[in-house]
Amino acid sequence: MENTKDYDVIIIGGGATGAGTARDCAMRGLRTILIERLDFTAGATGRNHGLLHSGARYAHTDPESAVECIKENIILKRIARHCIEETGGLFVSLPEDGLDYHAAFIEDCRKAGISAEELDPTEALRIEPSVNPAIIGAVKVPDGSIDPFRLTTANVMAARMNGADIMTYQEVVGFLREGTRITGVRLRSHRDGQEREIRGKVTINAAGIWGHHLARLAGVDINMYPAKGSLLIFGHRINNMVLNRCRKPGDADILVPGDTICVIGTTSTRIPYDQIDNMEVTPAEVDLLLREGTRLSPAMAWTRILRAYAGVRPLVADDSDPSGRSISRGIVCLDHTKRDGLDGFITITGGKLMTYRLMAQEATDLACRKLGVDRKCETAQVPLPGSDNTDDDRRRRAHIIELSTEQKAAEERHGSLTGRIASNDDAEDALVCECEQVSVGEVNFAIEELHVHNLVNLRRRTRMGMGTCQGELCACRAAGLLERHEKCARRTLNDLASFLDERWHGMYPVCWGETLVEIQFTSWLYEGVCGLDTDTASPIGEQPLH
Amino acid sequence: MKFDTIIIGGGLSGLASGIECARAGQRTAIISAGQSALHFWSGSFELLGQAGGETVITDPLSHIRQLDADHPYRVIGADRLRALLGRVPGLLADAGLKVSGSLDANHLRLTPLGFMKPAWLTLSDYIALDADAPMPWKKVALVNIYSYLDFYPRFLAAGLAKKGVKCHMGTVNIPQLDILRRSTTEMRATNMSRFLTNEAVDDLAFKINEVAAGCDAVIMPAILGIFSDEPVERLRRAVKCPVWFIPTTPASVPGVRCQLSLRDLFIRLGGEFLPGDTVKRGEITDGRLRRIFTVNLGDMPLEADNFVISTGSFFGHGLIADMEHIYEPALGLDLNVSKGRTAWYDKDFYAPQPYMTFGVVTDEDFHPSFHGRTVGNLYATGALLAGFNALKEGSGAGITLATALHAASRITGV
Repeated sequence: MENTKDYDVIIIGGGATGAGTARDCAMRGLRTILIERLDFTAGATGRNHGLLHSGARYAHTDPESAVECIKENIILKRIARHCIEETGGLFVSLPEDGLDYHAAFIEDCRKAGISAEELDPTEALRIEPSVNPAIIGAVKVPDGSIDPFRLTTANVMAARMNGADIMTYQEVVGFLREGTRITGVRLRSHRDGQEREIRGKVTINAAGIWGHHLARLAGVDINMYPAKGSLLIFGHRINNMVLNRCRKPGDADILVPGDTICVIGTTSTRIPYDQIDNMEVTPAEVDLLLREGTRLSPAMAWTRILRAYAGVRPLVADDSDPSGRSISRGIVCLDHTKRDGLDGFITITGGKLMTYRLMAQEATDLACRKLGVDRKCETAQVPLPGSDNTDDDRRRRAHIIELSTEQKAAEERHGSLTGRIASNDDAEDALVCECEQVSVGEVNFAIEELHVHNLVNLRRRTRMGMGTCQGELCACRAAGLLERHEKCARRTLNDLASFLDERWHGMYPVCWGETLVEIQFTSWLYEGVCGLDTDTASPIGEQPLH
Repeated sequence: MKFDTIIIGGGLSGLASGIECARAGQRTAIISAGQSALHFWSGSFELLGQAGGETVITDPLSHIRQLDADHPYRVIGADRLRALLGRVPGLLADAGLKVSGSLDANHLRLTPLGFMKPAWLTLSDYIALDADAPMPWKKVALVNIYSYLDFYPRFLAAGLAKKGVKCHMGTVNIPQLDILRRSTTEMRATNMSRFLTNEAVDDLAFKINEVAAGCDAVIMPAILGIFSDEPVERLRRAVKCPVWFIPTTPASVPGVRCQLSLRDLFIRLGGEFLPGDTVKRGEITDGRLRRIFTVNLGDMPLEADNFVISTGSFFGHGLIADMEHIYEPALGLDLNVSKGRTAWYDKDFYAPQPYMTFGVVTDEDFHPSFHGRTVGNLYATGALLAGFNALKEGSGAGITLATALHAASRITGV
């Protein structure tokens, strides 16, 4: 199948960077298409702490990144308010950490422009009672939490509203070229296996760690080293503020509260490139996260662990080091014309979730230069869809009508877009997912507007199935609703079967206590009562082709 | 307090052995922590649905030789199994529960997602299909209640279509349920069943007749009759074609009905039912359980000549796993479990999971052991036992009931 539309820019990768780049390109009037191999946020974007860095974490080791972070922190609080919770953060020193780092840290923060307020340990315990009472020092910084799923969805929506086309479940299997120029991509669908070609003047590789493979497909080499980071999610919020260990960045030194849960992480392990699609949290990593995590907040020892997950950071070899062993710091934006003599191809990588907008801006600036377009970037000023109401609007609305818990939950997730969720009668208000308060109306909104084809997509857009029951009671309800749109019982039942398997993959590394109780119940319900088993479960959609 | 027999656990297994002991004139107590596996019951009991990689239909008892030698069915033996399980329909009938099914052949039940699974006994208002006979209907009406989310007519229709049955899908509403819809979480099966009595049932039947015109049968979610058969019978009298029920997600109406009916029978027979209590420890000396202590009774011990422990698996909290160990929390009985948590599970959700087979070690008479020594006046029954995967075998209810009735017959000599 041929897409005859001629694009200015093809962006590969549906993480925050790709979605942000699509938004930026579309806002600058470029004819834009965003292509994602699986689902938005399926890679590193959806597999991190969800930490809105103040930059303090980097203040001592990487001042340049620290400055970038605090600048973007302030911008995101303006443009992505519905994705952010301004919890504040603490950097705490334990007796074994000493206070040397602590003293230098405050000075480094000030240099980077990050407000860092030294607190008496008693005061720190008063404002954040979950912190280890053994702390000997504490510094308050403007850390917060950010929902990467929401952030990416909002960027995708903004791109679409500005005219961009969006394709998910399309994997780039080859590049089209004329001489030394990349002129488009060849795609294979993960849904039906069909191949198609898309033409564009500039192609931007924003595929994170998978960008290594894509560059090779395009005939150029970027050396990326995958570094796996594992994290644990707890069943409720232990802490109200982000907790960091005040020492050199290490394992399990950050506990971030977000939505109904909190997350401890990470570990850091170099893994072979052929393992990047095989993210598994090992028992040793679980032990380490718990051992170190309980030093930050002892309550972790008796709090239920919902699941474990891991993501891959792409560490990019520094082009200036001929040995290829040094790792680039910060954002890497490669113009392959200059670097490799390959025209029409840009790679944007390195960086972090915090700097996704800046990465998008750099990549779009370069694309504009290549296309001879002179339009200023406005992504730092224009709010994202969902964040475009003012505080006054919110206050007025909350004053006039008393919002229900479900409405508040939906508003937390979708911000000013909540009005698009149908709530005309009791049937639309009925809850599909009780843990996360997701209504029938919200599920239908996500299916119709947010590129949802399966239950995992739906989970990422709404938090359905992310709560304490891990989909036990809501997965079949959601499958029932999804089938009404997809109109294929067999495919939806396959999808339901693989959704439960996907939930299990995050549960088995922490399969004791109530997690084991929950999964035994889920097995009895779906496999026993409902008769769903391996014959019906043939996973679709989330497996890479190569 | 002193009893002849004390049963720890108030699920299907505990109730069955409790009823048999009380019926034999024993002074019997059941200590029940609360909800049991019956709360997600499908309306069907399974005996043996899979053996040797095959679906079992005819003569399931002849297939038990394909099971491991220490499987509870093999330990009991086919003949005794037949005798014990043969009493079950009568026991259920005494409790007011009518079932169909036989030990000689499995029938098929229709699951909420439209699959067919082998079953032994099925409640009389739930679908039990003869595996060899043609489908009893040409066209059925799949009738849901407006805004109810735990019934899946489209999946059922897809399953029935494979068997050549045409389906007409319809939704009905009656104003008596509006009060539930005012809250976003109340439209659940057991809640609806509380409102579906008398005139509400007549109104429902009237609406169903409108939707089901021209159909051979009505298939609807199991939302009636939590406390008695009356609403179901009233509906069946008023609807112009046969009505069949499909179980829903928990809490299940047939499950709660079964639990309450068996409990009431136990109490009618003179049994002492102690709800909402948990055994926290016992005193075992010289191979006998002397007395037990519960959370509610504190330091006041409960004594008995014989004890039965039927506290279930992890789901029933009969077994508890922490990060490193698995233990039996009530008495600290010896367990058959794999060492180290990575040996507890398989990474494939649908593979046989090792943890499903964990449980207490017993001798051939189902006496558990404590610190390596058999406890002669204690029996372990049901899901607490080790050595089988009831989910994969489709054998949960059969094992639960057989071991419960075995223990009761040993205790009472009946």
